[in-house]
Amino acid sequence: MKQEHGGNGTRKYGMVIDLDLCTGCGSCMVACMAENNVPFREDETDKLKSITWMRVYKLTNGKPYPETDICYLPRPCQHCEGSHGHSPCVSVCPATATDYDSQTGIVSQIYTRCFGCRYCMAACPYHARYFNWYDPIWPEGMEKYLNPNVSPRMRGVVEKCSFCFHRYQAAKDKAYLDGQKEIEEDAYQTACTQACPAGAITFGDLDNPDHAVHKLKKQPGAFRLLERLGTNTKVYYVSSREWVRRAGDNYLKTEGPKKVV
Amino acid sequence: MKIDRRSFLSLGIGVAAGTALSPLPWKLTDDLSIWTQNWPWTPVPEIGETSHVNSVCTLCPGGCGISVRKIEGRGVKIEGMTGHPVNQGGICALGLSGLQLLYGPTRIKTPLRRIGKRGEDRWEKISWEQAISEIAEKLDVLRTSGNSHTIAGIAGSRQGTVSQLFKRFLTAYGSPNFFHTPSCVDTYQLAFQYMNGVSGAPGFDLENADVILSFGSGLLDGWGSPVRMFKANTAWRKANAHVIQIEPRLSRTAAKADRWIAINPGTEAALALGVSHVLIKELLFDKEFVDSHTDGFESFVTSKGEMKKGFRQTVLENYSPETVARITGIDPSAIILLAREFAKAKAPLALCGKGQGIIPGSLAEAMAVHALNALVGSVNRKGGVFPMPETEIQVWHEVAMDSVAAVGINQTNLIGAPPNSPCGTNQIPAAILSGKGYPLNALFVLESNPLYTMADSKTVRDAFDKIPFLVSLSSFMDETARYADIVLPNHIYLERIEDAPAPTGFPKPVISLSKPVFKPQFNTKHAGDTLILLAKEMGGAVADAFPWDNFEACLEEVMGDKMKTLQEKGFWVDSDAAIPDWKAAFKTPSGKFQFSPAEATLGFVPVAIEGDSTFPLLLIPYETMRMAGGYIANPPFMTKTVEDTILKLNDSFIEINPKTAQSNQLSEGDFVVVQTSRGQARGRVHLEEGIMPGVIALPRGLGHTAYDGYIANKGINANQLIGPVQDPVSGLDAAWGIRAKLSKA
Amino acid sequence: MDSALIPNGVRRCSLGKFLVPLAVVGAVLLWGVYAMLLCWFKGLNQTNMNDNYGFALWIWADLAVIALGGGAFFTGFLKYLIGKDELKHIINYAVLIGFICYSSALLILAIDIGQPLRGWFIFWHANVHSMLTEVAFCLSCYFMVLTIEYIPLILENRQIDKVPFFHHLSHNMHGTMAVFAATGAFLSFFHQGSLGGVAGVLFGRPFAYREGLFIWPWTFFLFTWSAAAYGPCFTLLVTRITEAVTGKKLVKDNVVELLAKISGWMMTTYIIAKIIDTLYWANVTAPSKGFNLIDFYSNNGFYGIWILVMEIILGGIVPAAILITDKGRKSPVVRTVAFVLAVIGVSVNRWVMVLQVMAVPVMPFDQWALYYPSWQEVATTILPVAYGIILIMISYRYLPIFPQEAELNPAE
Repeated sequence: MKQEHGGNGTRKYGMVIDLDLCTGCGSCMVACMAENNVPFREDETDKLKSITWMRVYKLTNGKPYPETDICYLPRPCQHCEGSHGHSPCVSVCPATATDYDSQTGIVSQIYTRCFGCRYCMAACPYHARYFNWYDPIWPEGMEKYLNPNVSPRMRGVVEKCSFCFHRYQAAKDKAYLDGQKEIEEDAYQTACTQACPAGAITFGDLDNPDHAVHKLKKQPGAFRLLERLGTNTKVYYVSSREWVRRAGDNYLKTEGPKKVV
Repeated sequence: MKIDRRSFLSLGIGVAAGTALSPLPWKLTDDLSIWTQNWPWTPVPEIGETSHVNSVCTLCPGGCGISVRKIEGRGVKIEGMTGHPVNQGGICALGLSGLQLLYGPTRIKTPLRRIGKRGEDRWEKISWEQAISEIAEKLDVLRTSGNSHTIAGIAGSRQGTVSQLFKRFLTAYGSPNFFHTPSCVDTYQLAFQYMNGVSGAPGFDLENADVILSFGSGLLDGWGSPVRMFKANTAWRKANAHVIQIEPRLSRTAAKADRWIAINPGTEAALALGVSHVLIKELLFDKEFVDSHTDGFESFVTSKGEMKKGFRQTVLENYSPETVARITGIDPSAIILLAREFAKAKAPLALCGKGQGIIPGSLAEAMAVHALNALVGSVNRKGGVFPMPETEIQVWHEVAMDSVAAVGINQTNLIGAPPNSPCGTNQIPAAILSGKGYPLNALFVLESNPLYTMADSKTVRDAFDKIPFLVSLSSFMDETARYADIVLPNHIYLERIEDAPAPTGFPKPVISLSKPVFKPQFNTKHAGDTLILLAKEMGGAVADAFPWDNFEACLEEVMGDKMKTLQEKGFWVDSDAAIPDWKAAFKTPSGKFQFSPAEATLGFVPVAIEGDSTFPLLLIPYETMRMAGGYIANPPFMTKTVEDTILKLNDSFIEINPKTAQSNQLSEGDFVVVQTSRGQARGRVHLEEGIMPGVIALPRGLGHTAYDGYIANKGINANQLIGPVQDPVSGLDAAWGIRAKLSKA
Repeated sequence: MDSALIPNGVRRCSLGKFLVPLAVVGAVLLWGVYAMLLCWFKGLNQTNMNDNYGFALWIWADLAVIALGGGAFFTGFLKYLIGKDELKHIINYAVLIGFICYSSALLILAIDIGQPLRGWFIFWHANVHSMLTEVAFCLSCYFMVLTIEYIPLILENRQIDKVPFFHHLSHNMHGTMAVFAATGAFLSFFHQGSLGGVAGVLFGRPFAYREGLFIWPWTFFLFTWSAAAYGPCFTLLVTRITEAVTGKKLVKDNVVELLAKISGWMMTTYIIAKIIDTLYWANVTAPSKGFNLIDFYSNNGFYGIWILVMEIILGGIVPAAILITDKGRKSPVVRTVAFVLAVIGVSVNRWVMVLQVMAVPVMPFDQWALYYPSWQEVATTILPVAYGIILIMISYRYLPIFPQEAELNPAE
């Protein structure tokens, strides 16, 4: 069988999120905000204007009390590959401000090139992209905690989860200095993965058999969000609950997700 | 040359064309776009050398190890500390937001003296010397007039050297009035005292349990040590352990549990006894344990010669599944199945303490649950529950009380209870307002915010109005600090050295060391140092009780040889600690586990929830991981994670079942007034299937009136609406809710 | 006072009577300008747009005015390339309306983007895969073409025409206008199409997504086609309004009827194509992604199936039927009704392709997002309307826009 992981140094970073383990505690959201200098305002209750690169959705099975069930679903940028890197957003950006990196499979966002047309947001079915409607303002003194590895954005541009790309760069530099060819699995982990107290998020090279995600993505109950749209995402979810898997995509009445044996 | 129209036009066109062809417009366009990429009002974080400092988070009693990433002197991120025994690298949303507290706008920057009316938030800055001498003077006057007992202290934490030092200060001064923020641990402690005969906080060996029966404990909503609980939950999933959650609302914990059993609120004890009934009736209980290690299972004759019913008889007579079904609303067959599943488990474990356990709760309930554990032999064994030895500070020399202190300390305390009674902090406001007993002349509040966290806000405030002198040792301008006469700003946890002992519920003795990761940001002082300074300023016997130069010296003495390990590793675990042997386990008169202690009777005693039939609904406050509900108010990051079905603009949502909503003619988002016998508030309704009809729920952590614009005046503080209900035996607050009504606003 | 500027052989109202409405519209314009400045200086937080509604009222207005301005290229195409010479009597006005529409469209885009000062990155860092890049290039080029087409009209002003240079320039430009008309038609074909492509390529949005030919989704062709079909209706409607306001007949009925007839037939073919497209999408494309047609039109407070009926039947089949029949076309009232319906029809189409695309939830656990524009958005959307009215007022007063005016309204 052909080995999936070529020796050409290309990687395909992705996530497997175990929804059975996720408790919806919000650590991933905050870890992401803290790591990536995500701004905040006095009122963040308008979720359609609240920048949360990682957002935890609360899904319900819609059944009446007491048959009701809830599942929490963390939603980072899905880093769609589409076909040949034509993810929904990358292909529409008029100024090449967002791009699909074939070396890592990460969908980048260049804030200083984005001029804020928001076409990418219209293209993204996951609402993973956020526009800076306001100038990011930190209350006096709080700018001290800003992470220098991630540049704060300016008003009028789109931002989104980068799979903590700066951590990849740091890991790559370190591997280079240490004379290693490969970036160790541990050496590059996203802030949300690291923070998750439930260990629900696993991150790594989906194509590398040595990485945990390689196996986890194939387990029964694994699915991707809106797979039928052909977005070819790199974030996998796992759930033992059928209704949750069904909520991961749109199905006609006669259809349904793959059965888990 | 005369400029005619024609040449003027040509000139104009020529100039325009020339400018367009010159590099000028292009350069300007380029410069402008570059300018938009470097707007001066968008901060550019400075780069520098990165370092990591390990410490411990004390924002909640969880005691997680943290690793703080620093760039030069600034902190840029707090992460979980790998290898810490409690959280094993994990971290919660609040812990991650710590730097927003460190650098946040609500820090108190210097000692303050009130100049406006109380709570008006008008202050004058004073020096530390001034503040200390002023307080010492006030205290001295009280002391010399024989009123030393009329001061009180409320500490945020029941454990730790600073709290002990606070208590010591009051002792040396001559006041029996040391209180702390209560929790379910207080009730558990009593249950242990009565049934095990041992004093200690409970340790739950949850990781080794395989059927976990939770009577409303918010295992994934911040109960115990939150991150440890998330780790435990993951371990349970992987080990196929079963979690059964019993509560009227589909909480985060219920949603993640293998089974959610909805129960009429407040009837958990009845269910525990009902399960016991089935276990006994079907002979499913751990006979060996009951026979050899327990007492009071069978009926017996007391020393006074009276016949007293044993546990078996009590339960068999009064708690049949049918009876319990009537009380709890749970099907009899479900109760039987539940009991069988519980009994069948290798290591079943039942626990209680609703939500995060911030309300002490009913003693009868804790005892019923503890008895259930005993029935299956899950007391004092692996995968079970056992008391953790209290870390009483042994090394300090006894306070040499002068005559004033000796008199003061022997007075009954503020709430009329003898010394060493359970901590009835909840009874303070009523005691003050009743006018019985003695008046309270001064109150010191250390890292706690009773004006916000105590039930029945209005009464608490009325009571505080009667206290002539209020001192807050808080780091933040919280509700209580804002109401104080003098504020002595404390370092926050990231700026100070401190011990963080025994994470709640953790089954191993652990002490972590909080280190000064950062230099103090403002003109603040370690509360430990403040207390020492104050004692020294007082002079005499009070000063003698505080022989240390500073808190660090004091802590070193307390920690002794553990200090080295603490400094090096950041934590100390008692590796020799083991589950106590049977002899040490039970110190009751019989030396056995006592099913029928003399102090309290086992049985279902409903908590007398306030409100009559004019309040048709039951309001239950609940806790969530997305909201800090205690002394710490939500930092901006956390508030950002709060769903818009909980808070929208400044309005809280009251969770209600669609059926209840319909019968009240309410639909999603309607504005309502929620009213109880204690108060009323305006909010909106959110329809949720996951709540029992007839019950409405409100999250804790909102409705602050102090702090900053990121949290102040958002939503409803549940404490406005609810009052404390004293447990008949312990006197602790057992109110799980209150009757309420909704009307359209 | 300004009689020296007024074209020969026509009558205009007094300057005072002209200035009063101009001032009123000017006030509205200023209001729009104020809102525009707010958006530029304070940012797009002045709008009610949000992360679900990244495209909203403005983009709809943008698409709508471009579709309505399609009368310019299509009339030009008919006159200069097909040789429908009668249309020379209305081509000036078509060009003017086109110029207004396209300059408005560009202005809207400049307000709509979050970083207007970097707007030129669309050319500098152009991504050839993006439909918006294609739009930007073609739109800008076509705007230049329209400007070139509009200039000779300005030069025909009585006073400017007196300058020999301008007189000759104007003459020569007229001579080469066919080339520009051809260029315009070519460019329009692409940008109208790529505007359709903007929605059609969104494979993450099943409500918008369409299969297509090569890189172009069907919406590409439908948009071009609909602009060609509906644009002339807008030209005719504005002409009709101008006639009503001035109280004069400005264009002869045979010209109007000719353009209306062509428009009617274009609309007929378009609406057949649109129905086929809708059927295919409803029965093949959407179900393949797990959606039934009705999923896009239910469970929300606004987007009911009525909107599809309104677009296709009321705004498509009805006006097309009116305009292709002699009787309908020849009655001034009925054909005006058809124009109005057509304008509504194409506007609804553009609305649906922008706002409903944003509103429809794609993730099953997502919710419908409804949106109300802020006053700043409304004001900036009205701004181009006010600007257009002013430009029409000034152009009509001082330029010989309608060649048949003098003949139809002989001086007493």
